[in-house]
Amino acid sequence: MNFNIEIPHSIDELVLTLNKFKNKNYRIGAGCTDLLMELKNNSASNLTIINISQVDDFNFNNVKLSNGNVDIGANTTAFKICENENILENYKTLHEAALNLASAQIRQVATIGGNICTASPSGDLICALMALKAQLYIKNSLGENREISILDFYKGVRKTDLKHGEFLSHLSLNSNNKNAFKTKSGFIKIGTRKSMECSVVSLAYHIQIDKKGNIIETGLAFGASAPIVKYATRACDFLIGKKIDSLSKTEIDTFAKLVVEYASPIDDIRATAWYRKQVLFNISKSILEKNIEK
Amino acid sequence: MVKIKGTNKYKISFLLNQTKVEVIVKASAILLDVLREDLNLTGTKPGCNEGECGACTVLINGAAVNSCLYLAVNADGKEITTIEGLVNNESELDPIQNTLIENGAVQCGFCTSGMVMSIKSLQNYYISKNKSAKTKIAPTNQEIKKWLEGNLCRCTGYVKIIEAAEKLLTEKV
Ligand SMILES: Cc1cc2nc3c(=O)[nH]c(=O)nc-3n(C[C@H](O)[C@H](O)[C@H](O)COP(=O)(O)OP(=O)(O)OC[C@H]3O[C@@H](n4cnc5c(N)ncnc54)[C@H](O)[C@@H]3O)c2cc1C
Ligand code: FES
Ligand code: FES
Repeated sequence: MNFNIEIPHSIDELVLTLNKFKNKNYRIGAGCTDLLMELKNNSASNLTIINISQVDDFNFNNVKLSNGNVDIGANTTAFKICENENILENYKTLHEAALNLASAQIRQVATIGGNICTASPSGDLICALMALKAQLYIKNSLGENREISILDFYKGVRKTDLKHGEFLSHLSLNSNNKNAFKTKSGFIKIGTRKSMECSVVSLAYHIQIDKKGNIIETGLAFGASAPIVKYATRACDFLIGKKIDSLSKTEIDTFAKLVVEYASPIDDIRATAWYRKQVLFNISKSILEKNIEK
Repeated sequence: MVKIKGTNKYKISFLLNQTKVEVIVKASAILLDVLREDLNLTGTKPGCNEGECGACTVLINGAAVNSCLYLAVNADGKEITTIEGLVNNESELDPIQNTLIENGAVQCGFCTSGMVMSIKSLQNYYISKNKSAKTKIAPTNQEIKKWLEGNLCRCTGYVKIIEAAEKLLTEKV
């Protein structure tokens, strides 16, 4: 493994560095937990790593409230996400996804931006952020900004909408619906062992329920069962307007079938495609069968 | 941190086991290799070299990190503690090490330095949590297991290690 390194210390310096390197062979490195594994396996020659982990900018490295929404800087670590009370309280699916990412040692350095931009089909934070319909904010090497929904960000296996010279600056989560009285929000990860395991299937859900028990907003995404993390629109729409406490067995089955329609898993060393679909069906059902919890 | 002119190297400085050190490293150097090869601290073990086993765990500003997946240049200005740094001047072992020994939680020992550093980081986490808490809290058995999930041990079966950590953290935090 051999590369050069550039170490910007502010967002402005990062923009300038990207501008300088935009026609060269470079990669961005944040926590580097994915990047170093990739480079250890095959390192290109004449590569420069633009190491963004020393960018000293509060908004880039932290979670903060902004007009009722929650903004999360791209360089926020999984550990900081686990520790954030607001996320625990209002976006439990993201809390649980972060808490089950790799190990304590990796959570200490792995960033949310790295998880999003690696675009792994089993990216745990991606899955939760899709269920929460996060909005991504991107900056380019001229300092220009644009935004895109995470639901439109993935273009294929490990391919994102990010252009050369761009980087993810932060993402934003909408506050929960003001009529939401309860939220059923969580993250289920099924692997061949409990810890440190790439998911066989993962499922993130965020269902908002009003005072009368009606489902008013839903978000559901799953990982490791298609080339990209998938958002199950039809399954989400199916639940809207229904009463969470009086869903029939048939309705729950229909919902789970609608989720599985989005799956196109493969057979690999961890599981067969058949098994993945079966597990996805069962865990989809399980979220509606469980008692409502906050 | 200073880039060495005309090379791909940096002079970095950090606090290593409470002593300031300066070392020249390649841009692509990994902290684990710098600790073992350049600074001769071989207590930190290379196991998998891919973030899975935790044998290479060190503390960076008090928190456990896998040194096999950490760029050495990012250690600049930080406080790094390795297993060697836990022994005090009179060469007494850290209470974590003693408790592991007393509990029969060490067999071949390859995982032990990483295990100790992870337990130390959990201890640090609770010390800082308890600073602002009205009533002192200690980690539960489940939390200890979760905290140590990134440390593999091929010998002990974990039970003795978890028991030792539980004993130590509930008594001494
Ligand atoms: C042992 C091990 C276990 C793991 N377990 C899990 C797991 O359980 N769940 C899971 O989801 N992942 C897991 N991972 C993968 C990895 O840890 C996560 O994806 C992590 O969030 C990546 O963050 P990072 O900061 O380390 O990214 P980096 O490695 O720094 O970067 C990853 C990619 O994103 C790009 N990038 C980073 N930041 C930006 C930015 N701001 N703008 C544009 N591009 C950017 C980089 O160029 C690179 O291509 C594991 C990895 C290891 C080594
Ligand atoms: S050697 Fe670093 S985790 Fe195994
Ligand atoms: S004591 Fe041998 S690996 Fe843990």
